[in-house]
Amino acid sequence: MNRLLAACALVVIFSALAIVPASQAQPVPGTTPEIFKQFSEYVVKIEVVETGSAAKASTGTGFVADPGGRIVTNYHVISKLVHSPERYRIDVIDVAGGTTVATVLGVDVVYDLAVLRTARRPKGHLAFESKPVAQGTRLYSLGHPHDLGLSIVEGTHNGLLRHTLYPKVHFTGSLNPGMSGGPTLTQAGKVVGINVATEGNQISFLVPAERALALLERTAKGAAPAAASFLADVGRQIYDNQSRYLAGMFDAKTPRVVLSPYDLPTRPTEFFRCWADAMRRKELPYASVTHDCSTDDYIFVSSEQSSGIVRFFHQLLSTNELNPARFFTLYSGQFQGGNAAMFGNEEEVTPFRCQTRNVATAGGKLKAVLCARQYLKLPALYDAVFRAATLGSRNAGLVSTLSLSGVSFDNVQGLSRRYLENIKWQR
Amino acid sequence: MAALGYIEILDGKGGVSERIAVDHFPLTLGRAYGNQVILSDPFVCPLHLKIAQDEQGRLLASDTGSVNGSYPAGVKERVTQWELHSGNQFRIGHTVLRYVSVDHPLAPTVVDRAVKVSPLASPYAAVISAVVVVLLLCLDAYLSSVERVTVAQIIGEPWVTVSMLGTWAGMWALASRLVVSRFNFARHVTIACIALLTISGLGVVAEWTEFFLPRIPMLWIAGVFGYGLVLAGMVYGHLGAASPLRRRSRLWSAAAVSLVVVGSSAISDFAARGKFSTIMEYSGVVKPIDAAWVPATSVDEFFGSAEKLKKELDGLAKKAKAGR
Repeated sequence: MNRLLAACALVVIFSALAIVPASQAQPVPGTTPEIFKQFSEYVVKIEVVETGSAAKASTGTGFVADPGGRIVTNYHVISKLVHSPERYRIDVIDVAGGTTVATVLGVDVVYDLAVLRTARRPKGHLAFESKPVAQGTRLYSLGHPHDLGLSIVEGTHNGLLRHTLYPKVHFTGSLNPGMSGGPTLTQAGKVVGINVATEGNQISFLVPAERALALLERTAKGAAPAAASFLADVGRQIYDNQSRYLAGMFDAKTPRVVLSPYDLPTRPTEFFRCWADAMRRKELPYASVTHDCSTDDYIFVSSEQSSGIVRFFHQLLSTNELNPARFFTLYSGQFQGGNAAMFGNEEEVTPFRCQTRNVATAGGKLKAVLCARQYLKLPALYDAVFRAATLGSRNAGLVSTLSLSGVSFDNVQGLSRRYLENIKWQR
Repeated sequence: MAALGYIEILDGKGGVSERIAVDHFPLTLGRAYGNQVILSDPFVCPLHLKIAQDEQGRLLASDTGSVNGSYPAGVKERVTQWELHSGNQFRIGHTVLRYVSVDHPLAPTVVDRAVKVSPLASPYAAVISAVVVVLLLCLDAYLSSVERVTVAQIIGEPWVTVSMLGTWAGMWALASRLVVSRFNFARHVTIACIALLTISGLGVVAEWTEFFLPRIPMLWIAGVFGYGLVLAGMVYGHLGAASPLRRRSRLWSAAAVSLVVVGSSAISDFAARGKFSTIMEYSGVVKPIDAAWVPATSVDEFFGSAEKLKKELDGLAKKAKAGR
């Protein structure tokens, strides 16, 4: 019996080996080699070149998206040019190695897309998938991972991410840096999405094809705008986007969470994710309960700056053991320290300025701090941190922090205010 | 024979550097060893001046035809003979001299206030203030710890500060020994302890003020000006025990030292404010007190005053763009 099994296994192995040379000789339609062969010529490498040193500053991938030869890629691939048009140029390198210089026609900073144009007429282009794609569909992603040459990656379509502000395709496959901006295709060679991000372990994300179509449509008419105007456009897009998604956030219908004796806002919309934890360690004479909510999506602005994250954090401290003076040493420390450090440099933002007051709300009194800083290149946008600590109790206190990035000052004021008014005492 | 008076040789500041008793007249002054008053001044002649008494008892000073002449006080030309009264100064060569008779009237005795023992100098004061400092440091260690602490941990806490305080007082004591020949260690310890207590008192007051009125940056004000004042007081006190300086000079030195320290810390603060940073600096003192006692603004007012914040940021942005 064992011998028979071994013989069967040998037959299977031999037949499998026998198939390999046959398929190498003649790609079967719809297989990975066939897809690579058929569509790789529409995929280009994109290099952002520092004109002073003629060396590349960043690389990515793009693809020819219409008969006119317009190229779709990620905004973050070419963002250096948007920020300093005088210092960079974009080279587009086709599969045969031919290089042409590209100009930017338009960007969609929220969805991380850009459309480019070169002088060269293409032989063909990739088409977009118009029908919905079922979960589990095999997909093929093309790109230049780590500048190692054009590669193809197989993976699976796992539907649209549900709890995100900006819809993204969940692609189970390994995207790597450098593949950004490349197309992900169905077996028929239709573009389902544009490679944009990865979280490692085969978890990757694509910008849905319809966003690229929308940007292509928006940039269809007219000549390329002046390079210097893109930054203002980026600012405008972020501004419009934040007005849209922050409208009404923390209104009266916001769901509540109770960290007794406080009644607090939680998960204001479904694109927030919330986490909670409690720390009651025997060696510590106090307990800490935390509730942390944050949006997942951030908008890439430049390599030094991202925007569009809303995060809030409640921390309830209480003690049965510490006397009021000692408890307030802890409480003051939590209120003053543990700042959600924000990145940023002198080129992009002003330093923070803060105001502190004791504020009386309908529920009770709090110590409130509002800190803000302004974006320098994208005017009318601010980062802000609002923090409040409840007053009056001797052995319990709540420190609650709301941090916003890339929002208008109206939203800094409006959102912080609604947030503050949502901090209530249980009756 | 009892002295009739004294010839005093004066130093540059008018102090007496040598006093020679005069028991008879006439009297001769000069470089030669035969004189009663021998001057080792190369500009003085071997026999330079003669002081004699006439029949009426008046004293007459006569130049003996010296090379460089003799000059009574306040006279610019050389004088060959003049009447000398008790207390008169005169110059021969480069030497200034004065004659005083034994019955020369004296100024009333100056009351010595410095000798009046300061209560700070008492060793009891030093011990008491040092004990208070240790207790305060223990209390501070206890209140500022938010973990479970043992008595041993709390008692172990203050000794670094205490030894620094001791070193400080010790160094002043050494300086005192060099300058006024006494250590005055107890007094220096008391002064240092009082300064430390004042600083912590000031800190507590500033924290509460800033908690109640967060608009006033009280901790900063106390940090710069309060500590400046304490420093001035400390320098004034230490100098009192370590030098013979009069009150006015001590005040000036204390003011100068504290001005330099306060000034440089204010300048470095100002420079740091201009520097870019991603740190949010705000006053965040909270205190355990019934909310009814805390003065508070309305929500409207809070967000209304945020407009000021916006203006400030606009200004910063404008400046940053202009600087590029």
